[in-house]
Amino acid sequence: MWALAWRNVWRHKTRSLVACGAVAAAVAFTLVFFGFVEATKTGMFEVLTSDSGHLQITSSRAEGAPDFDSRLIRHAAQVEAALLQELRDVQLRRVLEVPALISGETRARGALVVGMAHDDALGERFARKHVAAGRLPAPGSWDEIALGEALARALQVELGDPIYVFAPGTEGWGAAAYTLVGLLDFPQTSYEIQVAYLSLEGAQVLAAPGAVTRLEVHLSPGRGVPADTLIEETKARAAAVLGPDVRVQTWREAAPDMAAMLDMMDPGMTIFACLIFVLAGLLVVNTIYLSLVERIREFGVMIALGADRWRVMRMVLAESLVLVLAGTAAGLLVGGALIAGWADGFRMPGLDEVLAEFGLPVVLYPSVTPVQVAVTIAYAVFTALAAALWPAWVAGRLQPVEAMRHVA
Amino acid sequence: MKPILRAVRLTKVYENEGVKTPALQGVDLEVAPGEFTAVAGPSGSGKSTLLHILGCLDTPTAGETWLGERRTDQLDDVARAHLRLREIGFVFQAYNLIPVLTVLENAAFVLELQGVPKKVRHERAMAALEALGIADLAHRRPNQLSGGQQQRVAVARALAAEPRVVLADEPTANLDSKTGLALIELMKKLNAERGVTFLFSTHDPRLLAHVKRIIRLEDGRVVADERVDAA
Repeated sequence: MWALAWRNVWRHKTRSLVACGAVAAAVAFTLVFFGFVEATKTGMFEVLTSDSGHLQITSSRAEGAPDFDSRLIRHAAQVEAALLQELRDVQLRRVLEVPALISGETRARGALVVGMAHDDALGERFARKHVAAGRLPAPGSWDEIALGEALARALQVELGDPIYVFAPGTEGWGAAAYTLVGLLDFPQTSYEIQVAYLSLEGAQVLAAPGAVTRLEVHLSPGRGVPADTLIEETKARAAAVLGPDVRVQTWREAAPDMAAMLDMMDPGMTIFACLIFVLAGLLVVNTIYLSLVERIREFGVMIALGADRWRVMRMVLAESLVLVLAGTAAGLLVGGALIAGWADGFRMPGLDEVLAEFGLPVVLYPSVTPVQVAVTIAYAVFTALAAALWPAWVAGRLQPVEAMRHVA
Repeated sequence: MKPILRAVRLTKVYENEGVKTPALQGVDLEVAPGEFTAVAGPSGSGKSTLLHILGCLDTPTAGETWLGERRTDQLDDVARAHLRLREIGFVFQAYNLIPVLTVLENAAFVLELQGVPKKVRHERAMAALEALGIADLAHRRPNQLSGGQQQRVAVARALAAEPRVVLADEPTANLDSKTGLALIELMKKLNAERGVTFLFSTHDPRLLAHVKRIIRLEDGRVVADERVDAA
């Protein structure tokens, strides 16, 4: 039956090649699409969590209370110790965010001063990602500062220049002078123009000794996307040991809009792939149905010789499967080659800044899993069966005498 | 001897847009096993219709048809297909070979439908091709054969499955006289040597000169049933 189907498919080479090519294009496109969506999801997740953690611990008084005092987690060292006793394989970043006025020699601007201390791996990753010139303030330093590049431009300052910070109404010195040691690059210009970084100790001396506004918990850094269940489980353990004075949020809770966008990608991808296969399927229907119409007499002979309705239907379905699977094989080769070619990184020419502005990854690393390949093949097989269903039904209902009299 | 084919008051009326056209009008007929019989008559006399109904390709409007002990006019599509596959061989006027299959595969096609394993069906098909003198064409495609060769393949296809009866609808109509005669001789030989029952529809006098019995049809009625001494 399969040999017969194969030969029948290639009776009209051009027509079959067009249908086959459409299926190949659909398969290749779907595979590449899977690869890019997965890469986008991973990239977005990385962008989202690398600077804010998988879990965020903030003061439970902070919600709805914009004042600086309510946002503070005092005795941060004790909170951190309790956390690390419960959670072993994690890395922490301690952050103290202070609203302040920053000034150079000639200009001043309202800004957010961020004091930050982190475990080595997180620190290196942050520096690699964001330091455009110079370096980050040394850990523990009280007199070094790094500015967003846009903020430095606005203040008309350069590396080595003095910077003055005023944080009135806080609990530390409230004002201090620093040396500009680093310029930082952030994807979002709106953030870059309002941010300055100190060491955590420097910020605490300035505004809130011993306190932080946020503790970030990073799970398995550099080992891919942790499962939601692991994050939820870690959150529950952290919340249990830290008590009611702090609030523990997952990255989903901290950035619900982005989480929703990520969740929309899989259904969106499914719908898009379905549409592509529907279009390819229409061409397959056309090919199989025309082939049937041209061979009604032949089907009549087969039925006359004793082929029953199901046998005839199976023959038509087999032809559709052969046609689609040939296209699928070609599509997998093309799609696989494209993904392999882009696996080391794909950058959309000219769109770096636009993508970064929207928090999207600039470089994508497409890859597909065996499951996604299997799903693509399943789409193709379903398309083949669905496309052949109607022609098969028509063929199965042919009456032999009438069919043998048919003139195409 | 009990008949292998039987028609009782067989009637077939075609209806098209309210216009009724009688094709068979109360045909009674019996064919015994091993007979070499022709149904003769002018065009439109109902020959093909009679063969189609006896061969379970079509259903009568009224009357009964029997294949051996089994009544066939009331069977559903599936049962009729099964009977055609297992009990009846067909040879058509236009050969009706499957163009993408080789001669050997065409001859083995009914056996394939029967689910016979490939090796066995190719052996049996090859034996049928040898009996018809075309074994050397086994690997050609139908479009590489002459009309006579194609009709021989069609006969081989009908015989390879060893049916109880072969129904041949004007098998020589598309053949020149020499090729037609050769085919007739071949079928006659198979009838004599293997005892295969042949029932033809024809108005070819060359074929009529070789059959043992001629049933003449006119306007859907049997007007004569003659036993003849075949040449």
